[in-house]
Amino acid sequence: MIEVDGLTIVYGRAGAAVPAVAGLAIEVDTYELVAVVGPSGCGKTTLLFAIDGLLTPTAGRVRIHGEEVRGVRRDVALILQDAGLLPWKTVRANAELSLRIQGRKEPATKVLADLGLAGFEKRFPSELSEGMKRRVGIARALALQPRVMLMDEPTANLDSITREHIQNLILGLWWELGFTGILVTHDIEEAVFLGKRILVLSSRPARVVEVVDNPGMGEPGYRGTPEFVAQVAHLRQVLGGNGP
Amino acid sequence: MILRYLVAMVVITAVWAGVSWLLEVVRGRQILPTPWDTAIAAGETLSVLAAAFGTSALRFLIALAVAFVLGLPLGLAVGFEPKLDRYLSPLIYLLYPMPPVALLLFLYLAFGLGEVVRLVVVVMALFFQVVVAAQGAAKYVVPSHITAVRSAGATRWQIYRHVVLPATLPSVLTAARVSVGLGITMLYIAETKLGVLLGPGAGLGRFIEYYTFRGDISLAGVVGLALLGLLFYVVLELLERILCRWKFVGARGGT
Repeated sequence: MIEVDGLTIVYGRAGAAVPAVAGLAIEVDTYELVAVVGPSGCGKTTLLFAIDGLLTPTAGRVRIHGEEVRGVRRDVALILQDAGLLPWKTVRANAELSLRIQGRKEPATKVLADLGLAGFEKRFPSELSEGMKRRVGIARALALQPRVMLMDEPTANLDSITREHIQNLILGLWWELGFTGILVTHDIEEAVFLGKRILVLSSRPARVVEVVDNPGMGEPGYRGTPEFVAQVAHLRQVLGGNGP
Repeated sequence: MILRYLVAMVVITAVWAGVSWLLEVVRGRQILPTPWDTAIAAGETLSVLAAAFGTSALRFLIALAVAFVLGLPLGLAVGFEPKLDRYLSPLIYLLYPMPPVALLLFLYLAFGLGEVVRLVVVVMALFFQVVVAAQGAAKYVVPSHITAVRSAGATRWQIYRHVVLPATLPSVLTAARVSVGLGITMLYIAETKLGVLLGPGAGLGRFIEYYTFRGDISLAGVVGLALLGLLFYVVLELLERILCRWKFVGARGGT
């Protein structure tokens, strides 16, 4: 369970202070997958980094499984926008990076194979397609066997077919592995496809404007249904009224 | 690559021969020894020349290694840690343009007239090249690469090991390659300025100086210096190809 309470994060000091997040409160149940949408630059990534323990809140607090987050936790994995692969490491070394940093010796062979990356272990990121790079980024997070997955726009800048592949992959992994997840996105359809609940944030400083329940989520076939289309239209309206 | 260097050598030898011939015609006597005269002179003094080459090469290797060991950590830290950058960068930029040769008198006084001072002169020249290159590169490490390791719980040392060092290595090695020329010049000066005899421990600089009045032998020493520079240039390029293999792979595609 993730609890964010009164979270405020201010960048800079005194005169030049810019609040990115102001008094934000959210709750994510264990095994729930929640999508967070909002206008670009509204502080979505800041929120995610605070939950990951990369940023210290100016005020308020974040708790995971009842424990207050003070620094990076080992049961939480972060998937970065554009995958954040290190270009000087091979696919295997990238996938095992987080494990090695935590002093764990186990290989990521199985995770790589599960994500269709077997045979590419010795390639460098520059030799991969965009979709494969994202999968390596996901493999790096999965290798940790995390209880919480934080995803920062995992499909940004992908072509629509690859985007759907990655979205289906995330959905499948959520079913199979049962993690608690927060997915930050600016893609409305992605939010509806992957969010059991969808939190709509305001423009900077981020507050929760609306929580949209999305009970239909959970099947790859959801995309084609009238319910899906209606949810997308609704969400678009909420975001539109908020002005990007 | 080897073929290209061979072609370059043939071209240089041809131009050299042309200039030598032209000067002889214009001035009525030999000014610049021809390539073959130089080759014969090199053959005559081969053992001395080879010893001088070896000494210079070893000296340069040690200086380069010391410059790296001292300069790389300092440069990376100054470039990556904003606090160090603020306080140390002005200092570096003040010291960087100062030619160590201008300080030779003080270096003699500080380090004596032995082997150490020769190394110090070359190290000083290369050190700042490495520091400035490392600092510049470390400043522009991609933030998401740092986030990637920090979110796994990386310590400061791990951030340097997994991100800062490998990210900056290509530019540092390139800078080192570029400064081989400067380093060789400094080596020549350091070797020339000390001692008058051609004893053991005399490098190519001493060799060239000693044979000032035997143009052909002296020139053979200059060719030795050029080859020494080339040797280190090639070694550094190979090192880059091995250590930064990722830089040399292209997009091969995938699904």
